[in-house]
Amino acid sequence: MRFTFRRGIHPADNKNIAKDVPLMDFPTPQTVSIPLSQHIGAPAAAVVAVGDEVKVGTMIGKAASFVSANVFSSVSGKVTDIVTCRTAIGAKATHIVIENDGAYEEDFLEPLLSPDAAEIKSRVAEAGIVGMGGATFPTHVKLSPKTPVDVLIINAAECEPYITCDYRLSLEKTSEIFKGVEYMMTALGVENAYIGIEENKPDAIAKLSALATDRIRVIPLVTKYPQGAEKQLIYAITGRVVPEGALPSDVGAVVDNVHTAFAIYEAVELGKPSFMRAMTVSGKACTRPGNYWVRNGVGYKDIAAYCGETDDAKKVISGGPMMGFAQTDLAPSTGKGTSSLLFLTEEEVSSGDKPISACINCASCASHCPMRLMPMFIERAVEAEDAALAKKYHALSCLECGCCAYVCPARRPLVTAMRRAKKLIKEKGV
Amino acid sequence: MSKYVVSSSPHIGNDRTVMTIMLDVLIALLPAVVGSVVFFGFYALFLEVLSVAAAVGAEALYNVITKRDQTIGDCSAVVTGLLLALNLPVSVPFYVPIIGSAFAIIFVKMLFGGIGKNFANPAIAGRIFLLLAWASMMTAYVKPITWTDGDAFVYFRCILKGREGLLDVAALSTATPLASLRTEAAGLDIFNMFFGEIGGSLGETSALLLLLGGVYLIVRRVIDWRVPVTFIGTVAVFALIYGAAKGQALDYILPSIFGGGLFLGAFFMATDYSTSPNTKLGLTVFAFGCGIITSLIRFFGSYPEGVSFAILLMNIVTPYIDKAFVPRPFGYQPKKGAKA
Repeated sequence: MRFTFRRGIHPADNKNIAKDVPLMDFPTPQTVSIPLSQHIGAPAAAVVAVGDEVKVGTMIGKAASFVSANVFSSVSGKVTDIVTCRTAIGAKATHIVIENDGAYEEDFLEPLLSPDAAEIKSRVAEAGIVGMGGATFPTHVKLSPKTPVDVLIINAAECEPYITCDYRLSLEKTSEIFKGVEYMMTALGVENAYIGIEENKPDAIAKLSALATDRIRVIPLVTKYPQGAEKQLIYAITGRVVPEGALPSDVGAVVDNVHTAFAIYEAVELGKPSFMRAMTVSGKACTRPGNYWVRNGVGYKDIAAYCGETDDAKKVISGGPMMGFAQTDLAPSTGKGTSSLLFLTEEEVSSGDKPISACINCASCASHCPMRLMPMFIERAVEAEDAALAKKYHALSCLECGCCAYVCPARRPLVTAMRRAKKLIKEKGV
Repeated sequence: MSKYVVSSSPHIGNDRTVMTIMLDVLIALLPAVVGSVVFFGFYALFLEVLSVAAAVGAEALYNVITKRDQTIGDCSAVVTGLLLALNLPVSVPFYVPIIGSAFAIIFVKMLFGGIGKNFANPAIAGRIFLLLAWASMMTAYVKPITWTDGDAFVYFRCILKGREGLLDVAALSTATPLASLRTEAAGLDIFNMFFGEIGGSLGETSALLLLLGGVYLIVRRVIDWRVPVTFIGTVAVFALIYGAAKGQALDYILPSIFGGGLFLGAFFMATDYSTSPNTKLGLTVFAFGCGIITSLIRFFGSYPEGVSFAILLMNIVTPYIDKAFVPRPFGYQPKKGAKA
């Protein structure tokens, strides 16, 4: 039996551009600008002022509520400014600007020796760890499910084209990942964990499998997008179906990214808070694609300069080509969820930017939707501003994975329609 | 102004566009087009070209008059024009495909909003319009040319002298095998029905050539196999039952599926996206309905052939099928208690 879900698509993965470049430290620039909103939930509140001296790991933003996360300085130096500017996802956020003194003096937490569940959970919250696959949901919330769970699923699927940072991490930090998984299992009190990884990464599967045990198993997944979507991943590995509108914990599962497991290992054993991550820089419009350890707050312009952005960069995407955000400029800076920055040429994105024509009712969108929705009917409901109809077609279940728009021969902007549908349903309160 | 292109995700797509889908359909129809020339001479090609030109011209003109963006680039009018021509007998005068195609494009497609918005398959509706307008012309089938008719010039004489030229050569008019099917199945030449050496409209005579194109469309995933398989399967089962009632259970099956326009309808007309349901279950129900209505008309109605009427009727039911078979999303929970 092969592990997978129903429907979905098979885009060209383009991972060969960066996959064989080992992780290396990205040279941190003179100035970093760290956003206080790097996660889902309330932005962290600034706890430093202009002029303050900070070290690597000094808290600069404090979690403002339960669903929020602490933010730390990624360099040592002096806070020179606190500004409001745009993040990579287009939202406004407060940024702490720090002048890097180049000394990288550390101000870490105390390492924990054989911690219990409560200690691990509070450490995860303390260290500001969020889902590092890109969704950036605060991890301590996930580790405190309201219903009993019996299985932990580690998402190493990395189904987005181009991105290879989780792959490199799985290859290079294998034993650390397993330690992190053990801490997560302790925190959740579960005896079963699965690491799900797509079959297009055989060497990473081999490396992980060498350390697998009866408690932590490695599951090779069919290479198909969106294999790493939470509900699809749970179904592929356990056969459990998360009910509409429910959370994974409602079927006894918690899903976390493989990089999150690594971050938990670092936070527990090294006392290292979350201020740095593995990140892929790729695309044919950069001359130095690769995988880098990038500290939070590094400007996209610094990455463009170091990685050799070429003049034919047509689109710059923060995240993957299926769900990432196209950037208007290189002003934003990296955060905990910045898994990749892609510099793509006209040739690479032309397939997604073809002219829009009328829907021909081919139903390709419906036949590829991993949530089994009818995107064309939802789009029509949105155009008629009929919130009740959009809801009837289950617009709220949409993942925004983009399979529908990917296969649409008329290139309808279906993902935009789905977002509009959700907004409409919320506004009209149906 | 940003130097980068900014748009919503996803930023990549597959290679398929409306035009490539239509080109696939045209490629799939190519064997039938070649067959129509082989069986009926170059006048067949002449009718096909006229029909395509009229369809494309009508759409272009409509867009110009109504000041809309030109849409002929998607090649769907070419498909409509060609399908309509393939539904005509070779004996029709040249103006028949022109009127039929223009009617199909303007009244059935464009007035309803163009591609994707039409409620009925334009080629089918066009054919039925012509059938009602010129009933005798539209059912005046002639025997296909056979090699024994003479030399290769046969084909050229057909186009030079037009319809009359053709009739000089193959003046024998014939009925389609279907006409006799209702009363007597035995004695029909199954071999010729499969390869196309029978009377009928331009593109419908050879089940083999249509099957080639149909398999191509299924392999390319342009059409869903459920439609032709269910449609043809339903007709076959109905023929089995009808035959059994007459004590000749097996005799009716092959003539029923190879005769008339079933293959053309099942692979190329019932699979039209706009006018067929949007779910796999819906498509199966739709094709089953097509098969039942086709069989009822063929065996009990006043027309010898019912494929077009069956598809048209099911086109009309399509929106209701789509309403009835909304798929349950992944993780669907039946509502408990009172409905929201």
